[in-house]
Amino acid sequence: MKPSQRLRLKKILAHGFLLVALALVVLPFLMVLVASLRKGNFPPNSLWLNPDQWSLEHWKYVLNIPYSEIVNPSTGETRMVQPPTPPLHWLWNSVIVSAVSSAGIILLSSTAAYAFARMRFKFRGHILQSLLILQMFPAVLALTAYYTILDSVGRHVEWLGLNTLPGLIAIYLAGVSTNIWMIKGYFDTIPASMEESARIDGASPFQTFVRILLPVSVPIFAVVFILSFIYTMSEYPVASAVLGTPKTWTLAVGASSLLREHEKLWGHFAALAVLSGVPITVMFLVCQRFVIGGLTSGGIKE
Amino acid sequence: MILPTVSPIRLLIAALVTLPVLYLDFLTYQSGNNWLGVVILGLLALGLYIYLSPRAYTFRYLFPGLFAFSLFVIFPLLYTVYISFTNYSSRHLLSYQNVAELLEQDSYIVPDTPCYDYVLYRQGSAKYVLLLVDQSNREQRFLSEPFDLPPGQTVHYPTLVKISAIEPSRSIEGEPLKIAQVTRQGLFIPMRGYQFLLPNGQTLEKEGLDQFCGRNKIWKRNPDGSFTNQKTNSTIRPDFARGIFVDEQGEQIGIGFRAFTGLDSYVKIVTDPEIQLPFVRIFLWTVAFSAISAAGAFAIGMVLAVILEWKEMGLRKVYRTLLILPYAVPAVLSILIFKGLFNQEFGAVNEFLHAVFRFAPQWETNPWGARAMVLLVNLWLGYPYMMLICTGMLQSIPSSIYEASAIEGSNPFTDFFHITLPLVFPPLLPVLIASFAFNFNNFSVIYLLTGGGPKMVGGGNAGETDILVSYTYSLAFRSSENNYALASAIATLLFFLVGTLAWINLRMSSRRIVY
Repeated sequence: MKPSQRLRLKKILAHGFLLVALALVVLPFLMVLVASLRKGNFPPNSLWLNPDQWSLEHWKYVLNIPYSEIVNPSTGETRMVQPPTPPLHWLWNSVIVSAVSSAGIILLSSTAAYAFARMRFKFRGHILQSLLILQMFPAVLALTAYYTILDSVGRHVEWLGLNTLPGLIAIYLAGVSTNIWMIKGYFDTIPASMEESARIDGASPFQTFVRILLPVSVPIFAVVFILSFIYTMSEYPVASAVLGTPKTWTLAVGASSLLREHEKLWGHFAALAVLSGVPITVMFLVCQRFVIGGLTSGGIKE
Repeated sequence: MILPTVSPIRLLIAALVTLPVLYLDFLTYQSGNNWLGVVILGLLALGLYIYLSPRAYTFRYLFPGLFAFSLFVIFPLLYTVYISFTNYSSRHLLSYQNVAELLEQDSYIVPDTPCYDYVLYRQGSAKYVLLLVDQSNREQRFLSEPFDLPPGQTVHYPTLVKISAIEPSRSIEGEPLKIAQVTRQGLFIPMRGYQFLLPNGQTLEKEGLDQFCGRNKIWKRNPDGSFTNQKTNSTIRPDFARGIFVDEQGEQIGIGFRAFTGLDSYVKIVTDPEIQLPFVRIFLWTVAFSAISAAGAFAIGMVLAVILEWKEMGLRKVYRTLLILPYAVPAVLSILIFKGLFNQEFGAVNEFLHAVFRFAPQWETNPWGARAMVLLVNLWLGYPYMMLICTGMLQSIPSSIYEASAIEGSNPFTDFFHITLPLVFPPLLPVLIASFAFNFNNFSVIYLLTGGGPKMVGGGNAGETDILVSYTYSLAFRSSENNYALASAIATLLFFLVGTLAWINLRMSSRRIVY
């Protein structure tokens, strides 16, 4: 075999392998799209619909438009229904919780990251190490404690107790430990020379932090925001234990509630998954370059 | 005299922050949470010192982050450890004080006293009066003083309202409400808090929906902490070692309360066969699950990264973007989608396998089928992260090394195993350990796919695909026992495990990390 032929064979093999991998990745999503347009509630299992299987009922359900549901299959009797809690309300709850907790994490961790990067003080290494170790403990392990604490807080301060979004946000703020490390890692890569010359000109450490370091650190704040936003959007165990009523559910809890043991509403779920999954995915892909830079430069996160 | 260097503006801000916090602390103290009050006071003092004293300058920057870290991470961890030493569960749900208060509220219908029909009158917009008519003698009527009924809200029990006798003929001001109206307006809920005091000293309470009857307290609290039953004169006392009230024979009376029980939960893990058997099996499966997930995702990610780094391939960008999708789509949604694809009867996976191989595995009912499904889905979710990390590593290897080995006449496989892997593996080891630790507690994938099922025979709440963290969740939140204490004990053991892994990881990567 000539070298050019061998190269071509290798390319064909590589493309073949990648195409199989691609099929395994993409086909599930296409099937969900099809399932969301299929009449009745079937798990995602086909790429093709016969003309009589098309229906927009699930999309109407998700968009909170009244739709007709078959009450009696033998007579074909129907009635108009509308969900008690619009499913998009869950997406909205998720967006609020994720945005507020991500912003809160940045606010709480940036000054500490500055101190760790630029100042020298007692126990600095020890505190940094314990941050790194404790960030590997997932919140679900301390769930009983979070649950009990919120329960007793809620007896005195109702809006911060169980079954409230602020209560959930408070738990998500535990993400500070990971992010102090990420932001510190970025500060470390910025040369201190500019800050030093500002200090010689008489600026206080706080002024150099706000005027010089913060403006050049926007990219890392974007990374931290996106990563913790995506993490909280997808967080299930804490949200499901803390939030009890459909009005306060987040997307993760609401979507899984559609697939309960006895009544699995696959079509409804599929439409909700497409509608809410697409914007988050697009956001991630757009910010991809940022995020991947952050992944490889600062700390370890999954 | 040396004047303080603190600027007036800063002092003003400090005062503006201090006052509301002091007020909050006062409220906390008043509501009986003395310890919390002391803690808040201590934190306030610490905050003031840090932001006013020049000596604590560095801590002005550290305070917000470390405060949040202590409050949201360390405190819940310590609290979990604390719960593991108690008997907190649905049978010991309330504190001793709450249970004692409930005992004091227990009452019984006084025999040989009449019950009363009633009519509730609304006077004005929010005031109500109650008319009571003796069922055995309808001439005997009583009218209460006006009282509040906030719709749908509870009223502290017992709130006493006096009632006095009125002549049978007297008409009553206000609008009489029917029982249906009382129900619909949510007035029964506040009414439960009230006791009505007859002129002869007997208290009346609502009995069912349509009458009021005389009720007396059953228990009288004695100075030594025991309670005496007013009807039978027997005595019960709290047993703080077991968290229950016991009578003279040592039998439990009423509901239990939260008590410090030391190592009981840990002993239970080791000795109780209904916990010990599933615990060992779940532990082994957890280790296997995390190891296979981490290693498998690494292998797949590495292979894909190597192929995608091959410069002569076309369409690399398209492939890469699409292959990251599992990482970009929210994992909860992907997991639930796979729950549908692996559906035993209608799912796409079994339809495909049946059509091509005449073979349909039982992903839901067979333990090994379920384990295989969980692993396959987790590999699908996990490989893109590894692919990204490996790509970064591969790009940092200088191409001159490969050129040199090409001159020696190498092939891609020897290149990979003799150059790439030895170069890439050591710095990736911490990533692999972190991934192992992450999957050790990968709750969502198990819980949303199988719920831990199929059920483990003779294992109580345990399921065949449960990992330790989903098992603790079932113990605490899904079983009727709500065994928070046992769940916390297992969580505490997991803290040590994960902490050890993290510490090893830190040691291994400390060469790379610059403090």
